[in-house]
Amino acid sequence: MRVLFFAHLKDVTGTAHAEIKLGASLDTDALWQKLIAAYPGLARHRASVRLARNCEYAGANASFDDADEVALIPPVSGG
Amino acid sequence: MRLQIELTTQPIDLRRELPRELADAAGAVVEFQGVVRAEEDGHAVAALEYEAYSPMAERVMRRIAEEVCRRHPCLFVRVTHRIGVVPVGEAAIHVVAAARHRTEAFAMVTEFMNRLKRDVPIWKTRAFGRHELAASKPQ
Repeated sequence: MRVLFFAHLKDVTGTAHAEIKLGASLDTDALWQKLIAAYPGLARHRASVRLARNCEYAGANASFDDADEVALIPPVSGG
Repeated sequence: MRLQIELTTQPIDLRRELPRELADAAGAVVEFQGVVRAEEDGHAVAALEYEAYSPMAERVMRRIAEEVCRRHPCLFVRVTHRIGVVPVGEAAIHVVAAARHRTEAFAMVTEFMNRLKRDVPIWKTRAFGRHELAASKPQ
């Protein structure tokens, strides 16, 4: 799975993107656990960050697999 | 409805004309510029830097515009968002809505901007002071 980080989350993780191997489909909570295990600094941002799967916001019942591109979307501030 | 959605790293051309075929049909053209102010969060700034998740930003902006236009029919909408470093006084976003009557065009611009600020993955990532901005420019 390709994972993208934006804005201050690039500082939190030290990278703009990463490849993470899931092996099987994961639900939202399991994916967050995997992300936080890899980047512990993400834990305190979880409540304010939305997940996007293949350029669409992922609902609470989404599942994720290795073919997906997932972006962590912190609060936006465009315009 | 014709819809144009663009992200650009260049200064936004604010004088682009509407498509010629709209000239006779549109009774209202409403335009919004979101301009970088000299103050951000209480600090003097010379520029702001914008970052986008470009493919998703374009997709979400298109969807928002289409949804809003179903409620407030417009003939034409153009949204241009600048990314990268935007100096004070220059537009970070330019929205143009043309409709038969003003009510739809005003509603389109207002609702689009409200939703953009909630859902479009674009971020102000850095504020530059005057000296930082000068130092960041190529000699």
